[in-house]
Amino acid sequence: MMQAKPISLSISKAALISLLLLAALGMKAQSRKVMVQQKDTIPFYRGVAVSFDLVGAAEKTLGSYGQYEGAVRVNLKDKYFPIIELGLGTADEEDVSTRLHYKTSAPYGRIGVDFNVIKNKHDDYRLYVGGRYAFTSFKYDIFSPGLTDPVWGDHVDYNYPDNKGTYHWLEFVGGIDAKIWKFFRLGWSVRYKRRLFHTEQEIGEPWYVPGFGKVSNSNLGATFNIIFEF
Amino acid sequence: MRKIIWPITLCLALMMVVSCASIDCPLNNMVYAKFKLHSKLADTLTISTMRSDGSDSVLLNKSINTDSFQLPMSYKYTEDVLFFERKGLSTTTIDTVKIAKTNQPHFESVDCNASIFHTITGVNYTHHAIDSIAITHTTVSYDASKAHFLIYFKSSTD
Repeated sequence: MMQAKPISLSISKAALISLLLLAALGMKAQSRKVMVQQKDTIPFYRGVAVSFDLVGAAEKTLGSYGQYEGAVRVNLKDKYFPIIELGLGTADEEDVSTRLHYKTSAPYGRIGVDFNVIKNKHDDYRLYVGGRYAFTSFKYDIFSPGLTDPVWGDHVDYNYPDNKGTYHWLEFVGGIDAKIWKFFRLGWSVRYKRRLFHTEQEIGEPWYVPGFGKVSNSNLGATFNIIFEF
Repeated sequence: MRKIIWPITLCLALMMVVSCASIDCPLNNMVYAKFKLHSKLADTLTISTMRSDGSDSVLLNKSINTDSFQLPMSYKYTEDVLFFERKGLSTTTIDTVKIAKTNQPHFESVDCNASIFHTITGVNYTHHAIDSIAITHTTVSYDASKAHFLIYFKSSTD
């Protein structure tokens, strides 16, 4: 005849097994923690990079508007990359059907920071997300041969040079770059541009804004960068 | 990482190639002043103006059962003179309506025709068939949803 085990003995056994399991898990976690807490010996300042964008220059060469743009970027611990971008945006567009001619040429600037989000920060490859604040102050000219009133028959001039405008916008940036050879790197970035504030003349909004692109509340952009990192 | 670099680069290149521009222009480069009648006019209504060369131009031709209409505004002048001819069964009356306005050149885009917007500053008229005209909206632009004038015609004598 089997004798029933006292209930207190069963509880004690279960509690002991649970404690042993917890202890084992705790030790494993402790060993992981120790590995994570290894000190990063990489210095805070890792260098500076100078880059040039080819997309804007290609746009200007192949079309009627575009920008020439360069940037200076600081590398902090291979993780944080404060950046200043400066450029010259130009447009010289004449539409054959409307006979309207739009012209502008002005500098623009952006300031912001990129974060390297790749797991191994010190890899030759980097994956960035970041943001920029951008600003430009510019003048735009609008010329045309004039308008003929279809009812009254009069001809009126339509030439409005030196219209002043300002634009403030934010850019959300995602990009990658890779080390090609020693200090030479190549990289892409895509940008979502969101207008913050702007001023315009009574005649209407500009058609192209240096650095922002064609006028809209938001815009998409891309850069292909040649980078020299020292 | 190497595995994702080339797909991302390819996608970005494709995005650049397939990106396109859209043109969102108004249907034409004319803007119109919208007139609304307080009550439907059973008589025939013809509206004309005098062109710069002295000839007449009919802007609204023999409209019947009229409750609203749209008229162009001149690009150049600060006052447009319109002749409202109301023709009943036995009587014809002509009223002169003078609309004072300013003209503002407007630029929408290089792809869209240039246009002239207007701001209505006043209206004067004779009282043969017209009882009164009220300005309800002063800005004449591509927005044709709001009436600029509300016209009260006198009741027909026929």
